[in-house]
Amino acid sequence: MQYQNIFTTVQAVGPTHHGVELGHGNSPRTGEPYIEYWLGRIGNAQLGPIYLGGLGIASLMCGLIAFVTIGLNMLASVNWNPIQFVRQLFWLALEPPAPGYGLGIPPMNQGGWWLFTGFFLTVSLLLWWARMYRRARELGLGTHIPWAFAAAIWLYLVLGLFRPILMGSWGEAVPFGIFPHLDWTAAFSLRYGNLFYNPFHALSIVFLYGSVLLFAMHGATILAVGRYGGEREIEQIVDRGTASERAALFWRWTMGFNATMESIHRWAWWFAVLCPLAGGIGILLTGTVVDNWYLWAVKHGVAPPYPAVFPEVVDPATLSGVKP
Amino acid sequence: MKKSQLLLSAGLALLVLLTGCERPPTDTVQHGYRGTGMVQVYNPRTMELKEEENTIPPSLPALPGDGPKASQVYKNVKVLGNLSVNEFTRLMLSMTSWVAPAEGCAYCHNPANFAEDVKYTKVVARRMIEMTRHINADWKVHVAETGVTCYTCHRGNPVPNNIWHKEEEQAKGADFIGDRAGQNLAANSVVGTSLPSDPFTPFLLGELDIRVNGTTALPNGNRHSIKQAEWTYGLMTHMSSALGVNCTYCHNTQSFSNWNGNPPQRSTAWYGIRMARDLNKDYMEPLASVFPEHRLGPTGDAPKANCATCHQGAYKPLFGQSMLKDHPQLAGPGTGLDKTTLAKK
Amino acid sequence: MSMLSFEKKYRVRGGTLVGGDLFDFWIGPFYVGFFGVTTIFFAFLGTALILWGASQGPTWNLWQISIAPPDLSYGLRMAPLLEGGLWQLITVCALGAFVSWMMREVEICRKLGMGYHVPFAFSVAIFAYFTLNVIRPVLLGAWGHGFPYGIFSHLDWVSNVGYQYLHFHYNPAHMLAVSFFFATTFALSLHGGLVLSATNPPVGEVVKTPEHEDTFFRDSIGYSIGTLGIHRLGLFLALAAVLFSALCIVISGPFWTRGWPEWWGWWLNMPIWK
Repeated sequence: MQYQNIFTTVQAVGPTHHGVELGHGNSPRTGEPYIEYWLGRIGNAQLGPIYLGGLGIASLMCGLIAFVTIGLNMLASVNWNPIQFVRQLFWLALEPPAPGYGLGIPPMNQGGWWLFTGFFLTVSLLLWWARMYRRARELGLGTHIPWAFAAAIWLYLVLGLFRPILMGSWGEAVPFGIFPHLDWTAAFSLRYGNLFYNPFHALSIVFLYGSVLLFAMHGATILAVGRYGGEREIEQIVDRGTASERAALFWRWTMGFNATMESIHRWAWWFAVLCPLAGGIGILLTGTVVDNWYLWAVKHGVAPPYPAVFPEVVDPATLSGVKP
Repeated sequence: MKKSQLLLSAGLALLVLLTGCERPPTDTVQHGYRGTGMVQVYNPRTMELKEEENTIPPSLPALPGDGPKASQVYKNVKVLGNLSVNEFTRLMLSMTSWVAPAEGCAYCHNPANFAEDVKYTKVVARRMIEMTRHINADWKVHVAETGVTCYTCHRGNPVPNNIWHKEEEQAKGADFIGDRAGQNLAANSVVGTSLPSDPFTPFLLGELDIRVNGTTALPNGNRHSIKQAEWTYGLMTHMSSALGVNCTYCHNTQSFSNWNGNPPQRSTAWYGIRMARDLNKDYMEPLASVFPEHRLGPTGDAPKANCATCHQGAYKPLFGQSMLKDHPQLAGPGTGLDKTTLAKK
Repeated sequence: MSMLSFEKKYRVRGGTLVGGDLFDFWIGPFYVGFFGVTTIFFAFLGTALILWGASQGPTWNLWQISIAPPDLSYGLRMAPLLEGGLWQLITVCALGAFVSWMMREVEICRKLGMGYHVPFAFSVAIFAYFTLNVIRPVLLGAWGHGFPYGIFSHLDWVSNVGYQYLHFHYNPAHMLAVSFFFATTFALSLHGGLVLSATNPPVGEVVKTPEHEDTFFRDSIGYSIGTLGIHRLGLFLALAAVLFSALCIVISGPFWTRGWPEWWGWWLNMPIWK
């Protein structure tokens, strides 16, 4: 069978690359880079070096504090039993405060740890963002990655900070836990009248599925023109070669229009960034501006009706005097 | 090779999943307009087992209702005095087979003096008879003419298989960390989710709001929280599992709060919740002072009923077979309160 | 107007699978080919059927139009047109159009001397649709298990089918699929951002090199997968997302009838810690 450009068959091994030289004010890099053959079958074989500056170390420390706090709370919740900790790990959580505490600081064990963790996790993420920004600037690169990261941080802050503040209750925020955060997601949709009818939720999903579609399309296209050096995208952008030309024509002939080697990356960036951006807007509007998305959809003539197949059923709570 | 790597990982995942799954074929029943996805899904092999478990025991042959009354012949007959001696004896024999077949009459009675109330079981049983009659007479809006007997819950066990107690306070190892807020453990009561594990105290004993949705598109004073929605969700998962049905049995999840065009089962379920509250509050809880300690919960409360107590995994207890028609002595009298008043309590 | 500045030299004869030279031409920028003709046929017919179905329905509101599958009682038989038969015909047209599109892509790849990765990836997506509206209904014994063709009605189907299993988030294959969806989007933002950051440096800087791209990621996270690797990774993540999605729905019903949270019982009840 023909070579399909999925796994590299011959790996050229040369001296490891210690990274583009950095200017003043940067620490030296950490770790001696080494070659891992099996990684080399898919992408680059080199692991390391890594840059560990002040921002990165501070971010990792804050992140570690958050992580350990979550873990200790989970362990405490099963009475410090390590076997139950492993057994029930997916079910365990660090829960936000009860709604009754509003936006006040609750006792540590009644949501205080959640606030503590949220604080350190947020600081960690913001420090990591600053790290991304600094690394890009030091290498003379554009800051497109940190700004994409900002879209994700927007969603994170909406869920854990902005919306709870607008709703007047930390209790609205998401618990730290595998299944519990999924319970929160389901309960959120249940409480607010079915999130499928939230137009920003729908848009966010369009961009989520669209991103997957785009990466499948772009990844496949580049692999398909690998024999012409298609993966050398920077070179192809500044000096269009037959790889870019064939890639563009494939799509032009297929669907009537095409991107360029550069512009496809703009499509990619925007689709990926608009997913958390629109999603965050949709979350922020829920409960603050709209209380029931299904009823909102009915109001705007968007919800489909279904023919009745059951005899009419009356809400017993509406019968006179009956308490709902 | 990406193809085979994909196939390999997909195949491995499939193997792991399928070792924990059920095998086809499965049965499906449409329960709503076509294409809405309102469908009940059953495993025919499980259903066969369930049907076996839900066969009703044969009734003792009926005996004439004439002759002396039980209250005239026996002492200390407080509830069943109106029955003829024959009917009374038949009911006692039936109850024994339904509740304490291995233990026999001595489970409730002092064999030397049957009239004595020395055993707690006799006091509880008396109250249970009143409760059964109350259900059958006053809660027809939920149990219809099918009704219930002792067997519906007990199924040959002195303690029914599905009862509930209030949960113990969470063990506080250090008391400054690890509070679970009543959820976030793998709990059987909520069918393996990490939802709040005791939705029964607030909703089947107390009268906290189950509904959390607003009635208008825009905010209009509805202050229910997401956490409250989780509590309701917990109750609903219990109800689903107790009846062996899924959410679409009662709801079109397009809008959970909407009643228009919903299956009639939803209304029956609404009354079922009110009935459970009524029974727990007026019959079960007050028995805490009668039950001995080993029958009480970790907080010292009496055993209580939830949906699973009667339904035990069937959409109607005993799949809708009525034992009541053979035991009209359990059909009433009730308390005389109508359904509207009862539902208000 | 419809040809790019460099396009002419690529418009050569050949690469067709069916029909030889008969349909080997372009209309505007679109390549036709035999499969272009079949695509038009199925797409036109399917769209016309949808429009006719809408005309027989209660509304022309774009959000509310819905063509529903048959009642489960019809099993795997053909239903009357207005009782779900229309849905069945439209499904055939959809599959015909999708497969035709995919085959047309194959012909275009052959003409351009490209690998078949794009039509391969597309056929994974077609497989997911096929799983939803053919494989799963067949396993469950009725076409009525397919999803309705309507913008919001298909979402109601998703919601109800999800709640058939009480809490669909606990479906392990669904958890994997969602993770792959988010990972793909994440990786896409990184790849798009990286290429743009190298080719659009700040004012005063020159365009950068792949060494800069690699250095950025090695500095940030200790590893850079590289220009070829990222495309393999992206394609893999995207296809894994779609395959696990197809898996998560095909097991719901045919291979599992209870709530998905209950599936985790095998883990919770393992003898080592029961």
